[in-house]
Amino acid sequence: MTAVWYVVGFAFAAVSFVFVTIGAAWLISHRNRGDVHKGVPYESGIDTYGDTHGRFGLSFYIYALLFVAFDIEVIFIYLWAIVFRDLMATGFVSMVVFVAILLLGLAYAWRKGVLTWR
Amino acid sequence: MTVMSRAWGRLTLPGKVIFTAIPLLLALGVALALVVGILGGPIVELASQYGAVLRFLVAATIILVITIPTAFLIIFMEMKIIAFMNLRVGPDRVGPWGTLLSVVHGLKVLMKEDFTPSRADPLIFTLAPVVVYGSSVMTLVVLPFAPGLFAQDFNIGLLYFFAMGGLAVVGLLMAGWSSFNKYSLLGGLRSAAQMVSYEIPLTLSVAGLLLLAGTMSVNQLVANQSGWFTNWYVFQQPLGFLIFFIAVTAEANRTPFDLTEADSEIVAGFATEYSGMRFGFFFFAEYVNVFIVSAMTVALFFGGWNAPFPFPALAILLDPGSLGIWLLLGIAIVPLVGTLVLSLPFLLTRSAMPAWQAIVLGFVLFNVAVVGLLGVWAFVSFDWVAGLLWFLAKTYVFVFTFVWMRATLPRVRIDQLMGFAWKWLMPAALLNLFVTAGAILVVGR
Repeated sequence: MTAVWYVVGFAFAAVSFVFVTIGAAWLISHRNRGDVHKGVPYESGIDTYGDTHGRFGLSFYIYALLFVAFDIEVIFIYLWAIVFRDLMATGFVSMVVFVAILLLGLAYAWRKGVLTWR
Repeated sequence: MTVMSRAWGRLTLPGKVIFTAIPLLLALGVALALVVGILGGPIVELASQYGAVLRFLVAATIILVITIPTAFLIIFMEMKIIAFMNLRVGPDRVGPWGTLLSVVHGLKVLMKEDFTPSRADPLIFTLAPVVVYGSSVMTLVVLPFAPGLFAQDFNIGLLYFFAMGGLAVVGLLMAGWSSFNKYSLLGGLRSAAQMVSYEIPLTLSVAGLLLLAGTMSVNQLVANQSGWFTNWYVFQQPLGFLIFFIAVTAEANRTPFDLTEADSEIVAGFATEYSGMRFGFFFFAEYVNVFIVSAMTVALFFGGWNAPFPFPALAILLDPGSLGIWLLLGIAIVPLVGTLVLSLPFLLTRSAMPAWQAIVLGFVLFNVAVVGLLGVWAFVSFDWVAGLLWFLAKTYVFVFTFVWMRATLPRVRIDQLMGFAWKWLMPAALLNLFVTAGAILVVGR
């Protein structure tokens, strides 16, 4: 239980540290209002064109999807690794089967060419 | 002096108030420390009552405060070492050898205008650096600096480390999305794709080590590597170490993999629209991250705070308590005699130097000598001092390696980057995991 409070309290401390610093910077820094051009997005000096939050590459999405599958696998592998000395051969075989199923998915993605950036 | 007065003139009214308040607050702090020193008894009693709370407060304060000098030191190292590697002189104007230049950079960023673009989402735009910086310092909670010198020892320490480190992706995406700028959006998405891809080999590479150790507590992992340096996990997990180091470079957005900022392609990536202290926190977090990943590499693979060989236990030669009246005499006489003895060379050889200057120099030298002797004494008699020194020495070797890579390696292309993570590093990490498991199975323990 202490551990949880440590994390919560530390998150609070870190966030308040950042806000206090930004607040202090806001108080001491020099400001002016500027004109309309000051607030325009910086796109190498040209006025912004088209929709900024428009369409972007599908591959970002696929990588995120693969990540979710494999990152959950990692959690299982960690827990398995801790207790491996109690399981030995049984544990080894079951983890080989588990990873093989996931690797099939990876092989499929590889074959379909989504791992190659386009 | 004109620089100072001009800077003073540019400050806003609250700025003037704050800058005059800082010395006052410092004086208050000193006064408070004195009061604590005098009223020690009741406070110790109170501390034993709320020991856990007090320990937490001290740990949080220390961790948050040490990130500042750490970042300044690493920024200075980067400027100076890369300059030497390019056969330049590098910073040499502010402070001795330019050592204060990074402090000046920090102050400059603090005093710059902090601007929000008109079409940005102000709330998320402000929260993004908080998340990025928060995620990197949250990982410091589990880092063991020395025996007994850590904020908290979790039994799932390593998992916590990766979980908190992974939160940075959210912050970068928030920055990229809320800036309302195409460069920022591209930078944010690229960084998300990159960090998410390298998270897999990073976490898998350590699984082999967990198999050997059977624990996830970082403190325990470090303690397992005590004794001779051959006990370090890098000798049992060389492939795991290589994968970890490459993946960690990508996670910290360091040079061969710094596509998220890629200043020659997408301006500054997710940080394009940021200015002032909010921009400062992104780079603060980056340099703190360099320290954290070096420290974690040392803790996991290079023995953490363990010395490379077991130290022979040195006995303390002198017990001050047994001296009695001689101790008082020593305290009274030794500074005087030491100062005079150390100022003698100046007095005898530099005839142009006034006597008071020689005596001041002698006093300074005496203090340096006393601090040095105290350091040696602490190194010998407290194992946390020795541990901390070993840990920092090893960590800064890795920080140097990161800087060295920045001076040496060109940036990779994004298709090479992603292909390398998924097609090479991840299978290699799985291979490492199963070879380790098979070896444990064969050896049978």
